[in-house]
Amino acid sequence: MYSKEMESLFGKTGVGVGDTVEISSENGNFEGVIMPRPEIGDLSILVLKLKSGYNIGIRLDLIKEISLVNKGKREFAFPQSDAKLKKDLATIGMIYTGGTIGSKVDYVTGGVHMLIKPGELLHEVPELSDIANIEINQPMAIASEDMTHVEWGKIAHETAKMLNKGMRGVVITHGTDTMHYSSAALSFMLDNLNAPVVFTGAQRSSDRGSSDAFMNLICAARVATSSDVAEVGICMHETSSDDSCSFIRGTKVRKMHTSKRDAFKAINNVPICKVSRDGKIEYLSKHREIVEEETKKVIANTKFEEKVAIVKAYPNSDPDIVDYYATKGYKGLIIEGTGLGHAPVSPSSSKGSWIGPIKRAVDMGMVVGMTSQCLYGRVNENVYRNLRLLHDAGVIYCEDMLPEVAYVKLGFLLGNHSVHAAKELLGVNIKGEITERSEVLF
Amino acid sequence: MKDQAYYDSIGFRCGLEIHQRLKTERKLFCQCLNSESSKPLGIKIQRVQRAVAGETGKLDRSTSFESNKNRTFIYNTFQDNVCLVDIDEEPPHELNREALMISLVISASLNAIAPSEIEPMRKEVVDGSDPSAFQRTMLVGYNGNLQIGERTISIPTIFLEEESCGIESSDNSTAVYDVDRLGVPLVEIDTDPEIKNPIEAKEVASKIGMMLRLTHKVQRGIGSIRQDVNISIRGGERVEIKGMQDLDAMDTIIDREIERQLALIEIKKVILEKRGKVHAPQELTDIFAKTQIGVIKSSAGKVYGIRLENFAGVIGMELNPDRRLGSEISDYAKMAGVRGIIHSDEDLSKYGFSESELAEVRQKLSLADGDAFIIVSAKDDDIARKAINLAKYRAEHALVGIPPETRAADSKNMITRFMRPLPGGSRMYPETDAKPVAIEEKLLKSAKKDIVDIDKSSKQLEELIGNKQLASQMLKSYKFQTFNSIISNVKIEPLTVAAILLEKMKELKRQGILVDEISDSTLIYIFGKYAKKEITKAGIEEIIKNAPLDSKDVDRIIVEKEIGRLGAYELKKLVAQYNGLGKKEIIGKVMSEHRLNVDAEELMEVIAKM
Repeated sequence: MYSKEMESLFGKTGVGVGDTVEISSENGNFEGVIMPRPEIGDLSILVLKLKSGYNIGIRLDLIKEISLVNKGKREFAFPQSDAKLKKDLATIGMIYTGGTIGSKVDYVTGGVHMLIKPGELLHEVPELSDIANIEINQPMAIASEDMTHVEWGKIAHETAKMLNKGMRGVVITHGTDTMHYSSAALSFMLDNLNAPVVFTGAQRSSDRGSSDAFMNLICAARVATSSDVAEVGICMHETSSDDSCSFIRGTKVRKMHTSKRDAFKAINNVPICKVSRDGKIEYLSKHREIVEEETKKVIANTKFEEKVAIVKAYPNSDPDIVDYYATKGYKGLIIEGTGLGHAPVSPSSSKGSWIGPIKRAVDMGMVVGMTSQCLYGRVNENVYRNLRLLHDAGVIYCEDMLPEVAYVKLGFLLGNHSVHAAKELLGVNIKGEITERSEVLF
Repeated sequence: MKDQAYYDSIGFRCGLEIHQRLKTERKLFCQCLNSESSKPLGIKIQRVQRAVAGETGKLDRSTSFESNKNRTFIYNTFQDNVCLVDIDEEPPHELNREALMISLVISASLNAIAPSEIEPMRKEVVDGSDPSAFQRTMLVGYNGNLQIGERTISIPTIFLEEESCGIESSDNSTAVYDVDRLGVPLVEIDTDPEIKNPIEAKEVASKIGMMLRLTHKVQRGIGSIRQDVNISIRGGERVEIKGMQDLDAMDTIIDREIERQLALIEIKKVILEKRGKVHAPQELTDIFAKTQIGVIKSSAGKVYGIRLENFAGVIGMELNPDRRLGSEISDYAKMAGVRGIIHSDEDLSKYGFSESELAEVRQKLSLADGDAFIIVSAKDDDIARKAINLAKYRAEHALVGIPPETRAADSKNMITRFMRPLPGGSRMYPETDAKPVAIEEKLLKSAKKDIVDIDKSSKQLEELIGNKQLASQMLKSYKFQTFNSIISNVKIEPLTVAAILLEKMKELKRQGILVDEISDSTLIYIFGKYAKKEITKAGIEEIIKNAPLDSKDVDRIIVEKEIGRLGAYELKKLVAQYNGLGKKEIIGKVMSEHRLNVDAEELMEVIAKM
């Protein structure tokens, strides 16, 4: 956005963003296209795209005259591929939700556009036309950090609808930041699943030639088309290289890096399979398999209890936070404890002890679960006295479940079951979120 | 040499793009070291890239040609000078202020104007030389100029940008790059295409190089400065020649390129007169099912051909020594991954065509007298098709004249070689991950303080060295920085240093001794020994001849070769041995036995005192 003064100059001279103009300034004359102003720095500097393709900034007070050469075209169109989808290939659904993948910036207007036509998608990723016949749906365009359980519910319903129409699998494109929350949510929400539901995204935008979006989409489509997996999972780069992706169980996956392509890792688990760029699928662990003769419809249970929160226990932490949630009417709380599942219980100042607030919260009917901020490994209520105290206070120890997954699970349980049942089920495996054995993994 | 009237008559137009790596502590957009040495990490990353539509939605001509190639890129990583930013796994950090400052000084030295705000851009590159598939670049100066005698050469633009990866190896399916060099700050200086002849081109390049070295903030050595030359003649198109490393060869290569372009225009005339026409490709695979032709048999796959109506004799027309139109068509076909083409202006018997094969080809392509043909073959149908279509594209361009291309200087054969079609203009888009940088008055003022004045500096240098010829040679030499660091670290006659660096070392280099690999710090150590009277001038040369790796190596050489300088006492003792002989004889005797250990002047002093 330009400053008011700049906008007023535009108004007076009848020019605007996207127009080709001639500028005469104290420092020389230029011809170029007015670009949108990034919302940082001096908003009274005009950004002009020169014929060479370079942009330069010209300060308002240096501009002597500005005159219109050509009005810019305002429509934006993606190039389309002539390639046709092949109807004889297995049909999969593709649900666009937003995020870096599948969207492009129009550098003239600054707007973000989603690729929603198959022709546009095939132009970007022509390989897809040899993998599957794809039906695209875009129920929303939302950044991953803005996702809520309402969107999780929409995606779950859309997925169930597509699968009940007989599609071989579903690919869901999603912003990466909270993709693992959504994959956990769909894991719990979808019942009778008999097809692969594959989340994928991109760490680098698809308007750069090096984007990871291309291979992620290719591999996700391959899992949806030809794997025997009947689970929800995330399919993203296995390493920094563009040669294979990992398909990781939706309840055992976490974004572990802010920017790398291989940010998504299986935690306390082995990926379900590895998918190479050219389509080879290598199964790495036991999983729920597709049953050919299955006739049950996929059901989406999308109710979710909003009054659930995650809190983190750490040195100097104030346990009043537990009282706060209890008095606000919260029904569930997941504690991200230290180590095996600790929270301070006998610090030098008794104010710092979490025991009292937790007891009060449990007595008020709140379900309190304990996970570990170590992420790797299992919590255990028996090793230390302090752990036993917390357990005795009514805290449910969530085994090797990830804190975020425990949070999603508790919201789901409290949304669809009684408090009693939620307490019973929180520490028990439902959708692969808890493993019985801690496998020896390196 | 041809005269100016000749260049005027052919409408010669020439502009330069000079790329110079800057000597900064860190890279342009990350905290990696910008150092000349690097230690491999052993981690290799494999990537695939594709051309994506730029801002205007159109695929750039050059980038889409590259992506035809369908190649895999391997990136080698290094310890201190590769980070996640370099391998496109982390957004760029802040723009390096040191590099920005140097670029502003260079820009001001060329009388250019700085924009109010610098806008970092992405320039798409799909040859794999950048793991992000684009190069970060920004315009830092415009409307500059350079004075060459009476002539003013316009410098319309100056850019600050990232260096690309160094290529380790490349074939049709894979290219391997070293990422250590990626992201090193680079300044690009462009001139307008108003250079009048090849000698002037050399002068402009040389003067800009001199100015850059006088900032004392640029890297030295092979590859740290690159001259790209843009050339066109009347009736032709702009051709860009890359990698003109050797200034001495520049004018000859430009003249050869002019010859090539003139020949292509001549060929166009001939074909148009003959009413030449390029027909659609035909598949000829069946004809060669049982062939004995080695090149086709070994590829054992698909064969395609094109009829070139009325082209007979044209494909074999010479452009440069041993380079014909056929070679150029072959260059294009090779982009698809074939090893070359067969064309009918060649001696076909050398391939082993049978009579029946030739007859069938003639029939299938409907060849008439005066026609020519091209054949390509490849195992993979896709490659063969691409190859024949690329060959067709180039053959058709013979009717248009000179194809706009990026070519590489081949200083061994003094010609240019095809690299890729010239990139179009639609491959720039904003680097949305890097903030624009406002250029404040304060910054410009401070840049102006360091402006390079070549005339003033050259006078100063002349006074310092005390020898006009050596001073002017020094300004043009990449040894200039070494010279400066030696004389600022060692109390020594500048003339001695200049003579050794420019004359002695050049002579030793010619003998094949790797004198360029001696580091500045080692040279400082050697000259320091001389200043402390530990070695003689002849001793310096002897040590340099042995190309020492470091100061320890210098000490070792001094001991092993026994080149320590004789002190006054020892010298007197030595001279006393020859008591009774004439002065000249004594000098002769001493010097012939102790040439490396005795300073001639000191010897004469000793003798005079006797």
